[in-house]
Amino acid sequence: MTGSEQLLQRLPNDIGGLEAPKIEQTDHQLLPWEKRCHALADVLDFHKIINTEEKRRGVEALGSEMVGKLTYYERWIATFANIAFQKQLITPHELAAKMAEVEDRWRAHS
Amino acid sequence: MTAHEDHDHDHDHGTEHEHPHAPIETTEMPGYYDIMEQAFQELMIEKGLIGADEIRHQIEVLDSRNPALGAKVVARAWTDPDFKTRLLENGRTACEELGITFYDLTELIVLENTPRVHNLIVCTLCSCYPRPVLGLPPDWYKAKPYRARAVHEPRKVLAEFGTIIPDDVEVRVSDSTAIQRYLVLPMRPSGTEEYSEEQLAALVTRDAMIGVIPARTPTEGMAA
Repeated sequence: MTGSEQLLQRLPNDIGGLEAPKIEQTDHQLLPWEKRCHALADVLDFHKIINTEEKRRGVEALGSEMVGKLTYYERWIATFANIAFQKQLITPHELAAKMAEVEDRWRAHS
Repeated sequence: MTAHEDHDHDHDHGTEHEHPHAPIETTEMPGYYDIMEQAFQELMIEKGLIGADEIRHQIEVLDSRNPALGAKVVARAWTDPDFKTRLLENGRTACEELGITFYDLTELIVLENTPRVHNLIVCTLCSCYPRPVLGLPPDWYKAKPYRARAVHEPRKVLAEFGTIIPDDVEVRVSDSTAIQRYLVLPMRPSGTEEYSEEQLAALVTRDAMIGVIPARTPTEGMAA
């Protein structure tokens, strides 16, 4: 038995019932971009562009490594981009170009 | 504003809080994901998929939601039996009676704690939470230890929050989904018979409505 069958039984989000350490009662005030990202999620849901369950599955589709290493809202925005590519709402090229534009704009104003 | 003007930042860490990280200068380049969010949002607007003002409006909606709304619902249920019946029948429409709008398509089931049953809510798969009535969930609710453990050793989890449930009281854990959310109706503390609805609401905390602690007693309420 290699233990790899465990990987088939549970996707990364499906952690209910697993052993886990003590609960640290952590919290933090959202960063401005995190709050924007949350609002974006809601607006995408209102318009049926990306609903909550699609988002959850999209986060899962990032794979264990990204789920483990990205922060909560980093996972969300990466997921929105992936889903928007799949639905052909935007292309990776468009997003890259727009990101460069946002960065240039920021440099010009700072 | 800079990221570290947040007021409640790290309250839970008490004395450890000695500004663990260097203050972020406003001149610092926004991070990769921050830029990605801005770019993504702008593309959605340019393509006419979302309105230019919608994100800003939704941020205002999110800012308007906090556990005080849930506390108002609980206090009303404690003082108005008819309301409580309606609340337990349909959480969403009863909250709407109190002017709490649901900005999404989620349903709300309100779970009543009694001397025989203690309820706890979790979202094992992600972070679903009754946001219209409580605001955004705390980080620990979204983190692995709570999600993993709440469903198989709830009494141990509760004990870590300082809540000891007697063995003869049943513990029920409800696992939320994208469209089905829960809110715990805690037991009304004794010694509050003369309390006004407003005074009662002050005893109801976010964590009591998640089910990890009971509502405050009058003594705790005065100390808070």
